[in-house]
Amino acid sequence: MALPRGLRRALARADAAMNRLYGWRYNPLYHSGALVVALLLVILATGVYLLLFYRIGAPFASVARIADQVWLGRWIRALHRYASDAAVVAAAVHALRILAQGRTWGPRALAWVTGLVLLFVIFLCGWTGYVMVWDVQGQALAQAGARLLDLLPIFSEPISRAFVGERPLPGAFFFLNLFAHIALPVGLGLLLWLHVSRLARPGLLPPRRLVAGVIALLVALAVLWPAALGPPADLFQTPARAPYDAFFAFWLPLVRPLPAGTVWALLAAGVAAAVLAPWWTRPRAGERPAPSWVDERICTGCEQCVQDCPYDAIALVPRTRDVRPGASALVAHVAPTRCVSCGICAGSCAPMGVGPPERTGRDQLVAARRFASARRPGPRDIVVIACDRAVPAAGPHAGAPGALVYPVACAGSLHTSVVEYLLRAGAGGVLLAACPPRDCWNREGSKWLEQRVFHGREAELHERVDRRRVRLVFVASGERDRLRRAVAEFRAALAPLAVAGGETDFAGARECAPSGGGAPR
Amino acid sequence: MSPRTRRALGAITAAASLAFLAALSRVPYAAEPGADALLRLAWRARGERVEQCRRLTPAELARVPAHMRQEIQCTGRIVPYRLRVALDGREVINELVQAAGARHDRPLYVFRELRVPPGPHALAVRFARVRTVPATARDDETTTPPELRLDTAVLFLSRRAALVTYDEEQRRLTLIAAPRPPPPAR
Repeated sequence: MALPRGLRRALARADAAMNRLYGWRYNPLYHSGALVVALLLVILATGVYLLLFYRIGAPFASVARIADQVWLGRWIRALHRYASDAAVVAAAVHALRILAQGRTWGPRALAWVTGLVLLFVIFLCGWTGYVMVWDVQGQALAQAGARLLDLLPIFSEPISRAFVGERPLPGAFFFLNLFAHIALPVGLGLLLWLHVSRLARPGLLPPRRLVAGVIALLVALAVLWPAALGPPADLFQTPARAPYDAFFAFWLPLVRPLPAGTVWALLAAGVAAAVLAPWWTRPRAGERPAPSWVDERICTGCEQCVQDCPYDAIALVPRTRDVRPGASALVAHVAPTRCVSCGICAGSCAPMGVGPPERTGRDQLVAARRFASARRPGPRDIVVIACDRAVPAAGPHAGAPGALVYPVACAGSLHTSVVEYLLRAGAGGVLLAACPPRDCWNREGSKWLEQRVFHGREAELHERVDRRRVRLVFVASGERDRLRRAVAEFRAALAPLAVAGGETDFAGARECAPSGGGAPR
Repeated sequence: MSPRTRRALGAITAAASLAFLAALSRVPYAAEPGADALLRLAWRARGERVEQCRRLTPAELARVPAHMRQEIQCTGRIVPYRLRVALDGREVINELVQAAGARHDRPLYVFRELRVPPGPHALAVRFARVRTVPATARDDETTTPPELRLDTAVLFLSRRAALVTYDEEQRRLTLIAAPRPPPPAR
């Protein structure tokens, strides 16, 4: 799709810039989803304080009193507002990111749709929050909202009549509004649970230093530049020029000249396009990657793929086929409706019995052998095993002397035997270029790869492999220079080592027949 | 890029992002631009209900559960009104106001807002039943009269709203909030 591709390019540039400034660990763009949760907690904490002083009988006066509390109320109110604005920005970045990466369809559709609902509920919370203040902006938001809602045939009386001005607005209106403002966040909790329900280990909060930094900056902003408070609402006065929050009131100038019916039609079209993103962003029928499968003849029931799968798509079930003496009682089973075909299970399985068709460990060894015979890596060559997402960054190295690019679908799906094979085939070193851990499109690929190569996680790189000849670099797709530097540094580190001898006694193709892909046999 | 430069650039980016956030949270905007006054027409009217009744046949009654049998079945709706508004003799609104509800059997609600140049204006409002029928037993004192009229001079103030509404006790249209223009100088 053209839209996600354009978004992806823009995102790659932004990611690279942020990585340069803050490093990949604290890149706020990578943590946009988790930042929303952190900001919602800030909003909750500040909201509890504001609630103590809010009066539904005198909404504007009570908010004005809060704003007059120089030492506490003023900046807490400002923090409440700025955190809400930042939450909208973070949620929008998160949604655009997921859209750009094409992670909306298949088993991820539930997370996409619930994410949209979450964003909508955040908007509703903000809308009710601004109406609570009952300044000019609150009045304009309430009246514009009422105009739109009046078109729905579900209210016994037009809501706009409440804002006629004939009588003062009843306290019941502000009570209901306050109730909605408090009740909606409860719904947020439930939606958030649904949103991450298909993840094995959802990362709900960003790193502490990033949270602390963001909160400190927002507090500083709240103290130095307190939130604006417009003139009080007056139903007999047309809303005057006043400060509006563009994050929550951006739609006012858009809908003002349009009839309510047109606004609803446009809204319905926009919502339909967003909700149907899983349908229009998914690859064509023949191009969709198939879910993983298990070769039960090989599976030992060790449970490692169950532990490593980021989507809880694998479970151990009693073995029913291929029951023979010595075979494990349990065997891995992949739930195709939950599997996104990331291939991480292929990297986690030491005996190479699980993975997406044509991407199991055995298939990878066959591909590595083909690569080695075609490119013939020499002792001064570095093979860059690059995650598909990082290939744009690795591209320039394809023609660079001594750096051979070996692309893989996801670095986390790489079986460590491939690394060993390439070194034995004569390469001087293997540089693993993986996406930064919080940017892994398959959530935990980079993390598991690092642990398998350097920390002995099951399906580990064999201990006989000289670790000085293997290096892992986390690189985003827009970071060409960074990858170029990593190659140069690795080359310099390899120089003093004795030339690696190409071993010819390790023939992956002979030792491991290709899986052939497809259904279990 | 040296670490010091990177830190400085990081701090500048963070500060700029925050300033951008704060600036966007207070964008000056006028939901109603211009200096026009506002004429707001808003009321609830309890119109005349017209019913069409017929006696069910014994066969039809037999098909209905025993506890729901009513010999006479009525379907009704509220008669629509026509709203006409003239400003300085020029008609600015002429529209049919149907009763609310899918079957038009709920009260009539009028809610219209009109921008008016500030200054004194002659306002004439007519709210009259369309296709009225002879008064029935249900057309009592709580029902809105067949015709409501308001003819008055109004001084519209810039950015202020004048409200025309229906006073159910007085059973007439009234004007709220806009002061009358001063009497002409002799």
